Amino acid sequence: MANKGYIKTWFSNWWDVFSHELKDIFSDGGVLLIFFVAGLAYPLLYNLVYLNGILSDTPIAVVDDAACPDSRRFIREIDATREVEVAARCVNMAEAERLMQERKVNGIVYFPKDFGEKLAHNETAKLSLYADMSSFLYYKNAMIATNFVMLHEIGQIQMERYSLAGMTEQEASQVIKPLGYEDNNPYNRAFDYSIFLISAILMIIIQQTMFYGMSLLVGTRKERNRNFSSLPAHYGKYGIMRIVLGRGGAYWLLYLGIGMYIAFIVPAIFGLPQRGQFLDVLTLLLFFITDCVFFSMTWCTLITRRESVFLLFLAISPICLFLTGCSWPTVAFPKFWKVFSYIFPSTFGVQGYINLNTAGGDISAAGFQLRTMVIQTIIYFLLACASINLENWVTRHMDTIREKRDDLAQKVGIDREEDARIIKGV
Amino acid sequence: MNYWQRILQVAHREHRIIRNRPLYFMGSVGVIVFCAIFYLTFLDAGLPHDIPIGLVDEDNSTTSRNFCQQLDATQLGEVVYFDSFSSAREELIRGNISAVCMIPEGMNEDIQAFRQPKITFYINGLYFVSGALAWKDLLTMVNLTNGAVQRQVFRAKGYNDDQIMGLIRPIDVDTHQIGNVTTNYNYYLTSILLPGILEMIVILVFIYSLGAELKFSTSRHLLDTSGHSIVTALAGKLLVWTVIFSLIGFILVMLLYHWMHFPMSGKIFNMFIAMFLMILASEAVAIFIIEMLPVPRLALSIGALYSVLGLSLSGFTLPIEAMPPYIQGLAAMFPLRHYYLFYVQEAIFGAGFAGWWKEVVWLLCFLFVPIFGLKRLKMAYIHQNYPKE
Repeated sequence: MANKGYIKTWFSNWWDVFSHELKDIFSDGGVLLIFFVAGLAYPLLYNLVYLNGILSDTPIAVVDDAACPDSRRFIREIDATREVEVAARCVNMAEAERLMQERKVNGIVYFPKDFGEKLAHNETAKLSLYADMSSFLYYKNAMIATNFVMLHEIGQIQMERYSLAGMTEQEASQVIKPLGYEDNNPYNRAFDYSIFLISAILMIIIQQTMFYGMSLLVGTRKERNRNFSSLPAHYGKYGIMRIVLGRGGAYWLLYLGIGMYIAFIVPAIFGLPQRGQFLDVLTLLLFFITDCVFFSMTWCTLITRRESVFLLFLAISPICLFLTGCSWPTVAFPKFWKVFSYIFPSTFGVQGYINLNTAGGDISAAGFQLRTMVIQTIIYFLLACASINLENWVTRHMDTIREKRDDLAQKVGIDREEDARIIKGV
Repeated sequence: MNYWQRILQVAHREHRIIRNRPLYFMGSVGVIVFCAIFYLTFLDAGLPHDIPIGLVDEDNSTTSRNFCQQLDATQLGEVVYFDSFSSAREELIRGNISAVCMIPEGMNEDIQAFRQPKITFYINGLYFVSGALAWKDLLTMVNLTNGAVQRQVFRAKGYNDDQIMGLIRPIDVDTHQIGNVTTNYNYYLTSILLPGILEMIVILVFIYSLGAELKFSTSRHLLDTSGHSIVTALAGKLLVWTVIFSLIGFILVMLLYHWMHFPMSGKIFNMFIAMFLMILASEAVAIFIIEMLPVPRLALSIGALYSVLGLSLSGFTLPIEAMPPYIQGLAAMFPLRHYYLFYVQEAIFGAGFAGWWKEVVWLLCFLFVPIFGLKRLKMAYIHQNYPKE
């Protein structure tokens, strides 16, 4: 019967910690701002910014020194592509360069004088493309448009030349394209910026807002010289497990709601692909949120003051985005950073979400990510327990630590009392 | 004491504050050093290579093997062989390979007999850079294979190589990448990301520096030190922080364009101007935010939201033109946007003053923004009547 009593106490203690944490969250404006305003509004804002996702009709200038039917046809065809629009026809390169520098165009296509002649002589005619590299999307558009028009034109010209070389039309068309291809980009048809980036950003918002919010709360408590294990005073006798699980449960519950909103509702509002099975994505989300809870709990130990989390860790958000491998590929990561990326739940959460939700794989497509997140969760759970021990120790030895700090300051030559007089005037 | 002495007094006081709280050092120097090491080493390769491309060869002929070997030999691609399409597709969905290339059965015979077989690729465009590069690599390989077959045909007919070149390659495009000849992602991203992080640091640290006076109730003493002038108080703080931030900014510019040899068509000195003005503008934004919201934690949260958004709205990845019109106008509100446009003129086009003077005007306009709230901040400093946390 004693055993049952233990379980009962465990749960009632757990419930105390859990409800206390929830109460604290909802009575703190700053935390609410992070969880609800940032957590709910930021996904919408990012979707608005990347709403169109595709850059179309990049303006380019054309300098046609050849002025022959072939170059004119080439220009018309470039203009007709989705990627590029001929915004200016310039008489010389100087004029085109000026337009590019003024950013009225983002590329120049130049046909040299001998373009038509070379074509007439069955030689290779060269045209030049000058691309503005200030954004790689300009370059990509200009290059795709000119290359596809070039390939198309080559086909046309080859038809003429091969029939001159004595081939029948049938023969010529077979020789021109002995090997055909068919390309499919099933998950992101037009290399849409929003589809790949938003999928990643959504998961990162979950992790980062949770971490910032929790750190705010922990920082506040520490400023009031308490930590979460001794909160309120009689909590001290509770087991660490109860405290970690009780506190974690509060965030877990909150983020179940926020996470479902971010992972399911936001993509639906903006018509982003949701190709996965609902239950698969939900499973991933549960693993990810659990992982994030213990991750945040571990790292917020480093936060000693309320506001310091932003100063120290805001810059980590774009780094997390890079570490997911959604833009710069994982195979190209330097070894050290690859290992470093294992620190963050977002690395696996984002990959899993992209594979399941956006590419529409079944649960096995995120098998690796789920397994690593389980390992991460276990490690972070143990670390979170350890960090509570550490904080307890720090609270107990606060005076010694303060003394040590003052000693150190003295050695470096900082007079804290003198400083306090200058700063506060007392 | 005259005005200048008071400014020095405030600066002296600020120096003591910074020395007393390691957070200031960690939040400014610590963060930028970490980020600089991260981005510069992470993107060091410039352009990814050996991107895994799945290959399902159902033909197993000399032609198909040759195709695979050549694809493997390209710098961009690395071939991973699969027995069946379904197993390759699974790896594609998992993101372990960037593309799948299917070589149909009988391809070799079909090519010899001019029955025009088709290779099929599937690309995973969700892993953006690797997907796009794998696609480019595959297209190049197909075109090369076509050229090789055509050359064989014309050699058999007795043409010489010069004539053949003219026949199979009537047009060629000669691409010049202005400002980044090697399509180097490190040059492209780090040039704006690091100043973006610095903008973030300036805004957050300066908001914190001003907000801490309220938080620790030291604002009245600050005003005492400055002779009850909010302008003097700000000037003293700005003096210290502008020196620190500018030093960081100048080292950053030197690091990128002098020591790491990032491409620079113009003068490094002009980038100092851009950096300095961006820092001043960001400080102005920080002052404005704390003036409007003299509650340290709210001001910092808003500053955080603002500066993270600044990275996207500078328009160096997805250009502003591709964003909805009502977002496009917002971009002008971020100092980083003007720094980016300045950078394009100076580093990419080398246009000099004529190219970037407008951005200078924009950045200087930011300096007028804090004027409107000075009184509000002074009142908050005197009465300390806002929540401290």
